[in-house]
Amino acid sequence: MSFELIKDILIATVPLLVIFPSLFAFTTWMERKALARIQNRIGPNKTGIPCTRIGLFGLGQPAADGIKMIFKEDIVPRGADKLFHLLAPILALIPAMLILCFLPLEFPWGKFMSAPVQAFLLDSAVIFFFAISGLATLAIFMAGWASRNKYSLLGGMRAVAQMVSYEIPLVLSAVVVVMMVGSLNAKEIADAQTGFNWFVFTPWGLAAFVIFFIAALAETNRSPFDLPEAESEIIAGYFTEYSGFKFALFFLGEYIAMFAISGLAVTLFLGAGDGPFLTAAPWLSVMWFIGKIFGLIAVMIWLRGTLPRLRVDQLMAFAWKFLLPLSIFNILLAGLTHFALDARVAATSDAILYSIHASHTHSDAANHDHPKPVAGQKEAVMGALHYTDKDWMGAMKWFSKAALKGHAQSRSILGWGFGIWAMSLIVLYVMAKGLDNVSRSTAKPREYLYAE
Amino acid sequence: MTQEITFWVLAVIAVLGALVAVRRRNLIHGVFALMIFFAALSGLFLLLLAEFIAAVQILVYIGAVGILLLFAIMLTERVTGDDARDITSRGSFWGWAAALAVLVFLLLPAIQSADLAQTTQPHNPSVKALGQQMMDPYVITLEVLALLLTAALIGAVAASQGGEKTKEDIDDA
Repeated sequence: MSFELIKDILIATVPLLVIFPSLFAFTTWMERKALARIQNRIGPNKTGIPCTRIGLFGLGQPAADGIKMIFKEDIVPRGADKLFHLLAPILALIPAMLILCFLPLEFPWGKFMSAPVQAFLLDSAVIFFFAISGLATLAIFMAGWASRNKYSLLGGMRAVAQMVSYEIPLVLSAVVVVMMVGSLNAKEIADAQTGFNWFVFTPWGLAAFVIFFIAALAETNRSPFDLPEAESEIIAGYFTEYSGFKFALFFLGEYIAMFAISGLAVTLFLGAGDGPFLTAAPWLSVMWFIGKIFGLIAVMIWLRGTLPRLRVDQLMAFAWKFLLPLSIFNILLAGLTHFALDARVAATSDAILYSIHASHTHSDAANHDHPKPVAGQKEAVMGALHYTDKDWMGAMKWFSKAALKGHAQSRSILGWGFGIWAMSLIVLYVMAKGLDNVSRSTAKPREYLYAE
Repeated sequence: MTQEITFWVLAVIAVLGALVAVRRRNLIHGVFALMIFFAALSGLFLLLLAEFIAAVQILVYIGAVGILLLFAIMLTERVTGDDARDITSRGSFWGWAAALAVLVFLLLPAIQSADLAQTTQPHNPSVKALGQQMMDPYVITLEVLALLLTAALIGAVAASQGGEKTKEDIDDA
């Protein structure tokens, strides 16, 4: 074990251990502020710099909460399984922290390191991510079981059922991206999307992103899927019997898992660290990455403020009858558009490249009349070259330039491309609409006789 | 050196986990100990650079089999899990003897006669190569397995539905 190795490990992991927990503190403040505004309140606004009257919009609230949590009494129920009661919050945090290592975050201090910047540069990072994030379920079950409390156990059972169900659409929607890139490596997936070739701009990517985001909400027990901790039904669910710092650990674990799964959504669909001004300042990449994560978190907070909680039967029906068939259909559609219909566009762009090649070889021949250059030929060739490099956005830009100059083949490519895009979206919409009609939970609430 | 330390730590954790899993009378503790064993095993796979198998080990054994076991225990009546004693049985001597005999007369000779490669050159089986193997020469096997599992799934659903519902059942529900 050399010094270099230890240094690299520390440089790669310590930022994750510092940045994300501090972001957690900020996010709790942001969430409380946003929820308060949605509910027409002000939210925390007093806690700022101690011993002064400076409020700083309540930014000191997380610190105050943290201090309170540390000094609170740690209560363990008499009948509880002491060991498991202690282990559960720890086990809830570990997988959440661990999966952060699989995100292709490119911190700007790469020059200080001998190894890659990413903490775990694994070939099968995406599979590992899902495997380890699933372990959070165990912690929740452990907490529910060890507390020896009806509500805890109910919350734990709800959590297990929910997370096991929603993991399937979550993984299946990610499969589409893996299929297209041909790799499970997070870094390669990120690289495939540089230059605004984000997968969310493709029809199947858009559908997969929406499915992924909904399933991610359920995986992290966020509203409207917060049944395991539904306070109006089962007090606080699996952490009913937790107080003080153990409760804070659960809270931290939940938020870190939110960051991690948003980070995976950003990696798979939103182009990872890709964004404008990257050639001028490569260190912006990590900023874009975290900014996009925060965008997703903001949507989560917004949803929490506006949507009511689902019923249990609705929750299960939604996962198994709507999200699962739709994500399987999406895989089929992605394969179809990519390998069958895109072939048409690819063939035309090949034809453009071939035509320029052919004209060159013929012009070398005896007759010296150069073939008349077609208007927009140069742009079309650039487009075709970009297309072979899988830079779809760049290709479309050049093709539309060529099409504006009246290049027929480019027009045909644009027509086909747009046609495929629109058709897929329409097909997906129709499919979703049909599934929605079929999959609605048929269980009716019991009719109460108020005269009883 | 680092690898050896890692190996021994993981190996000790695995053996201890397995021992606790079979010795505890408390079933829930037993299942969690079994999961520790699976996790340590996955770590050993990682040490052998078999990262895909390590991931699948976590995904399938801890994530699916473990949760399934927990569900089965929860749905079993009279398993409260309050019992903290270890399992003791009168015939344990013969069990130990049989295990020892298998080790000495079957496993050790098998290991000694096996032609193990002595080189330490890492063989890096990429996930891509594995996928290509699965999709090219073994695609029929894969499809047959998938069909079998689907049939099992549908069978489980059909079995859990019970017989045909009478009109009274439907009215009650």
